[in-house]
Amino acid sequence: MSNPLWTVTKFEFVRQVKKPSFWATIILIPAMIIGMFLISMLISNNNKAEGPTIDENTKIVVTDEAGILPKESPLVAKITKEEGSKKVVDGEIDLYFYIPADFKDTKKVEFYHVSEGLELFNMDGQAIKSILSQSVSPKFSDLDVLALTGNFEVNDNKLTKTGEESKALGHAVIPIIVLVIFFFFVTLFGSRLLMTVVEEKENRISEMILTTVSTKHLIVGKIFSMMLLGLIQIMTLIIPVVAMAIIYKDNPMVSMILSQIVIDPITIITNLALLVFSIFLTTGFLTYIGTITPTAKDASQFIGPVIIGVVFPLYFMSAFMATEPSGFVYFLTYFPLSAPTALMLRSAFGTLTTPELIIGLAEIAILSAIVIRFTVKSFQQNAINFSLSLPKLRKK
Amino acid sequence: MKNIVEIKHFRMDFGKKTIIKDLSFEVRAGEIFGFLGSNGSGKTTTLRALLGFYTPTSGELLIDGKKYDPEDTDVTVGYLPEERGLYKKETVMDNLVYFGELKGLKDPKGWAEKYLKRVKLEDKADLKLEKLSGGQQQKIQLGVTIMNNPKLLILDEPTKGFDPMNRRLLMEIIEEAHQKGAAIIMITHYMDEVEKLCDRAILLKDGVAHAYGTIDEIKKQHKGKSLEQIFIDVYGGEDE
Repeated sequence: MSNPLWTVTKFEFVRQVKKPSFWATIILIPAMIIGMFLISMLISNNNKAEGPTIDENTKIVVTDEAGILPKESPLVAKITKEEGSKKVVDGEIDLYFYIPADFKDTKKVEFYHVSEGLELFNMDGQAIKSILSQSVSPKFSDLDVLALTGNFEVNDNKLTKTGEESKALGHAVIPIIVLVIFFFFVTLFGSRLLMTVVEEKENRISEMILTTVSTKHLIVGKIFSMMLLGLIQIMTLIIPVVAMAIIYKDNPMVSMILSQIVIDPITIITNLALLVFSIFLTTGFLTYIGTITPTAKDASQFIGPVIIGVVFPLYFMSAFMATEPSGFVYFLTYFPLSAPTALMLRSAFGTLTTPELIIGLAEIAILSAIVIRFTVKSFQQNAINFSLSLPKLRKK
Repeated sequence: MKNIVEIKHFRMDFGKKTIIKDLSFEVRAGEIFGFLGSNGSGKTTTLRALLGFYTPTSGELLIDGKKYDPEDTDVTVGYLPEERGLYKKETVMDNLVYFGELKGLKDPKGWAEKYLKRVKLEDKADLKLEKLSGGQQQKIQLGVTIMNNPKLLILDEPTKGFDPMNRRLLMEIIEEAHQKGAAIIMITHYMDEVEKLCDRAILLKDGVAHAYGTIDEIKKQHKGKSLEQIFIDVYGGEDE
């Protein structure tokens, strides 16, 4: 006898995959992502043309080993790269540029500044291009041409306030990817799952199916099938993103992002665990609603409130970005419906300590087990309740 | 003869309302058992409790000596509920294959093809179930009920809404299952069907049994009256 859990999973998976609406979503979302990516590329190119915005109070120091700038320039200082970066960390200067002796060949300038959180592309680095272009002598040398055309790279060295290399963005990449996957899953498949649970009652299938397979296998099989569908969706999101990254790897913004991604196995494992348990918890909530409502119409009223509960922490993004989490952030971190998003946000912004992550993971894992257990029991009890009345909801 | 179903002092309350007061009876292996009573007398509730949909207030409901669990039973059960339906948006074949796989058939597709041929629906295999007429859908539901050669066939008002053709098909299937040694529990309001098909029967009213035994025993207990007359006497001309 084939495993009933696998049979249910396969059936539910195949019937969803056969629907044109599933493939429409699959194609539409990556197409939107590619479109947004191309637009952001255009915007970033336009920004580059406008140049940096630095005010008169910005303290800029340049070490010019290539000898492009006039020696009497107030920006030039005879300090080493290490001394310059230290002065940045100490707050003595805001922006430090190091032009190496072999600049003519490498066509690269090192740029040091203190990073403010999740900084993607610091346009202040482009200031060196203006500085150099305004300093060329009337008799053009090769260096002058380079300085005038600005045809060189500025290596952005982000530093933390303690003087270490800032990897805030790199560390945030995986939690942000997990957060995006989680939202895609909940918004795209949560309601689909709820409807498939209601369908059994609405079409009077419950009694025939539940004398054939256990409630547990039926419910868990449905959830597994949605997770498999989610996996397909994730692949269709990741593949175009990776393809775009390969095609545009020479783009400064893309190369900067790629160079900063931190591949840390512990971060990957904990975030994946967070994703899986969060999906179980949220889909568990939605499935439970499916078990207590008699029709798809009744059930659909609940999808919105659940989704709002899940995305609620996003409305308080600034609170989550603060270095010291507030009491409200802590509340959202452990409140069942908002916990997955809150934990993912805090993981992305680097404010989630290891003990908090362990407690959060344990909470979500335990809650998801409880919710699914309740859901199975509720489905068993309400499977043949074809006319369950919801007076409060039906009142107009 | 071995009892395949045992119901001992079954009581079922829904809130303050008592549906079944104290019900005990057995169904023997290989017999056709008529479960009789007016609407609301608790027949469907009893079958649902037997199959685990309801938790009894008290008493025991056993199939082959234990509480029914579809994935932990030595007795293959086929159940045609009163409220019956299948996956309307899926094809006839997908419905049959899905249930066939869940019921552990070795070749569910092969079985489905044979069955569809038998009920003259082979050309409908790839159609969505909702495209079939009501009578055609009934044939598919019947197929799902009997596909695993059940040792216990539970039919809740099986002929309800059936056209004469499907009714004849159902009777053939009941006869076939009986010949293969299946016990059959049948809820029906057609007393002629009971007299013709059933070995034993129980008549339920107000949550208690008013008659129980072989058809002949029941008739003897009621001065040789027909089952239909007994039913009318018990219910005292109540409107069904």
